[in-house]
Amino acid sequence: MHYPIGLLFDLLASSSALPWNITVHFKSFPEKDLLHCPSKDVIEAHFMSCVKEADALKHKSQVINEMQKKDHKQLWMGLQNDRFDQFWAINRKLMEYPAEENGFRYIPFRIYQTTTERPFIQKLFRPVATDGQLHTLGDLLKEVCPSAVAPEDGEKKNQVMIHGIEPMLETPLQWLSEHLSYPDNFLHISIIPQPTD
Amino acid sequence: MEEDEFFGEETFQHYCAEFIKHSQKIGDGWEWRTSKDCSDGYMCKTQFQIKNGTAVSHRGTSAHVQTCLPMEEALEPPLDDFEVMQTTTATEVIKYEYHVLYSCSYQVPVLYFRASFLDGSPLALKDIWEGVHECYKTRLLHGPWDTITQQEHPILGQPFFVLHPCKTNEFMTPVLKNSQKINRNVNYITSWLSMVGPAVGLNLPLSYARAAFQDEGNVDRQGSSIEPKSLEEL
Repeated sequence: MHYPIGLLFDLLASSSALPWNITVHFKSFPEKDLLHCPSKDVIEAHFMSCVKEADALKHKSQVINEMQKKDHKQLWMGLQNDRFDQFWAINRKLMEYPAEENGFRYIPFRIYQTTTERPFIQKLFRPVATDGQLHTLGDLLKEVCPSAVAPEDGEKKNQVMIHGIEPMLETPLQWLSEHLSYPDNFLHISIIPQPTD
Repeated sequence: MEEDEFFGEETFQHYCAEFIKHSQKIGDGWEWRTSKDCSDGYMCKTQFQIKNGTAVSHRGTSAHVQTCLPMEEALEPPLDDFEVMQTTTATEVIKYEYHVLYSCSYQVPVLYFRASFLDGSPLALKDIWEGVHECYKTRLLHGPWDTITQQEHPILGQPFFVLHPCKTNEFMTPVLKNSQKINRNVNYITSWLSMVGPAVGLNLPLSYARAAFQDEGNVDRQGSSIEPKSLEEL
């Protein structure tokens, strides 16, 4: 899948010790289940399409459309060549918002669970409530994935994981979007069963 | 959910319901599918086409692409023996699936599609293009309209080709503005699909357009949103 490797690890192998041992297959590609990855250009196209979609949510595509082709290229090259400053010179513009607002228009996020047929949950969700209060990670889950959050007095059934850590549910979503998004500008959130050790 | 949405999910479902009503009248094969968790759904259609032995030789018509054939006709050999000489198989039947989903990120409908041979093996994008008329190929390759990429179907999770939605608003806005000017109701889905569909082998009979303004009186009666489950009652 075109999923970030960190997401795959959180979702499928978070209880494994590192290094993560994987099996690579060279035959019988499952055409009906997985996307092909024929070239670097395809990965670049997929990455840019995610960045554009994230900006459609955050800024109605205004920021990404105002950029020149060379800026898009710099974003991709910065990621490809592991050049932090090169990447962030462009990405910081995607993390800005108008002074009069308190955050992005909507938050780009996807919630993954291995127990559902649907590959991920993605919905429109505003970072700021009408009364000006910042929505939290907990607010998001309650709204779009209520089964993931344990009832007040109940036992914690699931871990809510981003980049291998469990952020506090009280964390403002706007902050998470600015600081914990993946390079494609999405928050990729894994809901996995609580380990029983 | 949000008032400033120009084309929200409820509106999308409403137009799909109207579209499917007409499809049922003319036997065009579109149906609504609700996701397993019942939170949303999509419109879909399957059609079968014959692929000739050779890719070229349009002969000025799109006669080699036939839609909605009963299976017996689909297995007849082609009339032109010269074309048959070039390949090992005389004809192949290809199954096309078209899905119309709603993108909340872009707040427009999106066309997903895939094609496979009858044994289930999928077609690559370049094979699908062989069934598309030349004029659409040029538009797709050079036009500012849309690009096609392979992506995961947001509800089924399987690989589909997608006509990227980032330009949809651009070409739909003049259509909708004009219809407001001449005070004629337009089914967004009908207009949109009639524009993007042909580029990927999907054609809409003209009667859909006539149905859109015949339904003008009915739209208000039905209300602003139609729940997907009412489609099953039709």
